[in-house]
Formats: sequence, structure tokens, C-alpha cells
Amino acid sequence: MMKILRTIGAWAALRWRKVRGWGAGPGSLAVLLAGMGLGAVAFASVGSFMVYANSEAFCANSCHEMTQLQKEHKGSAHDANRSGVRATCNDCHVPHEYVPNYLAKLGLFADYWGHFVTGSIATPEKFEARRYLLARRVWTYMKETDSRECRHCHTTSKMDPDKQSEKAIRRHEKARAAGLTCIECHFAITHKEPEGPGPQELFSKEPLKQVAR
Amino acid sequence: MHARALARLGRWAARKRAFVVLLAGAAMGVAALSVFGTTMIYTSTEPFCATSCHEMANNSNLEFIGSVHDRNRTGVRATCVDCHVPHAPIPLYIAKMGALNDLWSHHVSKTVDTKEKFEAQRQKMAQRVWTYMKGNDSRECRHCHNAANMDPERQSTWAQLRHERARREKLTCIDCHFGITHAVPEGGPGPQELEVDRSLIPRSAIF
Repeated sequence: MMKILRTIGAWAALRWRKVRGWGAGPGSLAVLLAGMGLGAVAFASVGSFMVYANSEAFCANSCHEMTQLQKEHKGSAHDANRSGVRATCNDCHVPHEYVPNYLAKLGLFADYWGHFVTGSIATPEKFEARRYLLARRVWTYMKETDSRECRHCHTTSKMDPDKQSEKAIRRHEKARAAGLTCIECHFAITHKEPEGPGPQELFSKEPLKQVAR
Repeated sequence: MHARALARLGRWAARKRAFVVLLAGAAMGVAALSVFGTTMIYTSTEPFCATSCHEMANNSNLEFIGSVHDRNRTGVRATCVDCHVPHAPIPLYIAKMGALNDLWSHHVSKTVDTKEKFEAQRQKMAQRVWTYMKGNDSRECRHCHNAANMDPERQSTWAQLRHERARREKLTCIDCHFGITHAVPEGGPGPQELEVDRSLIPRSAIF
């Protein structure tokens, strides 16, 4: 085994000396092209991973903690509905712009930490114990961004009041007047509602900044 | 200080020239791919696709405005590309090449540059789209509309009956849901009357 590795190592060193030689001569064009290829492949890999990490196969089904949430999503309006147009995990919970999206993906490390080290939501009981805290964190995030992720799909200006119920029209009017954002009424539409004050009570009582993240 | 640091950097780069060239190449590769990707995304937006040429802005987009895919109860929309361009990367790039045909028609042959010419071509163009959609079992419709996640209880009895029948008769979305956004061409066959190789449509894929 070691012998094979050493042979490969020696071969690579020889190659690399040759490639270094090319860098100085006309071969540098080949090196440049190879670099372009490498850069493109690396970048495409990052992009593909971002796409894969947004899929239900990864996001909803690949860890114990999320399969729990996936069960709640199943059958909700964002999963099954009249038209079969769905919203999955990332549609609601991850920014859609590139850089914020990449930053959000780094949050994955917190999930690893939570799963492997602290085990803070490792069992359904522990999850339930922290549900209110987790929900409040998401509500606060959505309030701060004016429910940006909701609005990525739901374009307010393209809502047709004639197709909404009387009650919905009235409520939306009221929300506009009061400066409310989507999540203040449309909460716990997918995941279970935790015990404790909902987002409207939460944000009307204390200024946003004081709501613990 | 800066000059000395630069000189040192220069000497280092001279020694590691191949490495530096490789890095420069990688940066160029990333930049090229970003430009390519950004173009793909930009050309998929409404400002480009719907309103940047006369043909689309004066005909197709005017018809789209106010249709159910533009304005509805929930404000969830589908724009040009959602229905008319494949969503998988490679087929998408190939479809974008079709823009060359549009440029040709606009600048050279001028086949749809006036309202009258557009209307005269409508039947032909609609049939082309219907055939395409029948041929791939309305793949673009299904990119958003998951048949498996449709809740029959939230559909009208009429819709349930019709979907049942469509399943039986191996129809695909476009066979019934045509002319929902753009004007229906006058005369001529509708999608159900069009002959398309049905063996292309996987049976399991229909509902």
C-alpha cells in the first residue's frame, strides 16, 4: 500500500516539476486552461451542492431532527393543495439571494454542533421542550425581514382580492393599516403551534430588538 | 515598504509561475461560469424575456397580464420560463440557443414583427408549443404542479371527474389546459386533436 502511494507521490512530483516548467514557457497556456477547467468545476460543484442542499432529499430527510419537521410539513397547505404547487423547506427558511444563501448554508455547522455535541434537540421530547424557543427565533427572523421568504413566492401586488374570501380581504386590509407582516398572522401553518405568546403578541409587547433570538 | 513587498511577491510569483498561472486560470474559470450563469438567470427574468422585444411585449406578455399565472388568490406566479423553458441545466442551455432563432426572425426574416403577422402565425406557433408539451408529458407544467400532491378534496367535483377521465384516456395537462394564458388561435385543431407519438409519454407519469 505504502509502496503504491510512494510511487504515485514520486510520479506526481515529477509531473509537477514538468508543469512548473511549462508555466515559464509556451506551456503556460495549457496550465491556464487547466486552471480554468479546475475553477469552473470547483465553482459548478459549489453551485450543485447549494442546489442539492436545498432539495427535500437532503434538507428534509437526511437528519433525525428534520424528519420530525418533515412529518409536520406533510399534508400542510404548502405540501398538498388544490393545484399541487408546493413550497419545501428552503422556500420558507433560507434566503434566495446568493450571498445571504451561502451565509445561511454556513448555519449548517450549528446543526452539526447541535446534533453531535450538545444534542439539544436529539429526541422528540427535547425537541418539544425547545419548540417555543425555535419558533420564536424563526418568527423574529421573518418579522425582521418583512417575511422576505414568504414574499419570494407570494407577490402581494399580484394577489387578486376578488378571488380571496371576504374575511381574507378584511384581514389583509387591517394588516396593511397596522403594519403587520405575513408571519404575524400566518404562523404555525406548517409546523405545530408551540405553547406561549404568538408573534403578534410577542412583537406588540416589546420592541423587536428585545425579543431574544 | 510596499515596493519591497511587491518585489518580494514578484520574485515569489516568478518561482511559482506555474502555480500562479493555474490560480489565474481558476479565477478566470469561476468568472466565466458566473457570467454564464448570471446570463442564464437574467435571460429568464420578465424584464428580459417578456418585455425586451416587441414580439413578446406587444403580444405574449399583454395576454399573460391578468391571467391566472400572473394574478391569483395567493400571488404565487409563473412567468415565461416556468412554462416555456426546460428546468434541467443542459436542456435549458440548449433551449436558450433558440434565442438565435428569435434574433433571426426579428432582424432578418421579420415573421412576427407586427400584430397582423403575429396573428397570422398564431395557429402554427401554438401548435408547436402544444406538440412540445404533449411530447414531454407537460414537463414544464409538472415542474410546479405535482400531480401527486394535488388534494382532490380541495378541487371541484368537476375537476376531479375530468382528472379521472384524463388519467383513463392518458391525456396530459396541455390536452385540456390550453389557451389559459395566451389567446386561443381561431380554427384548426386543439391539442387533443394533434397527433403526437404517445409512446414518448411514460404511462406512470400521467397523474
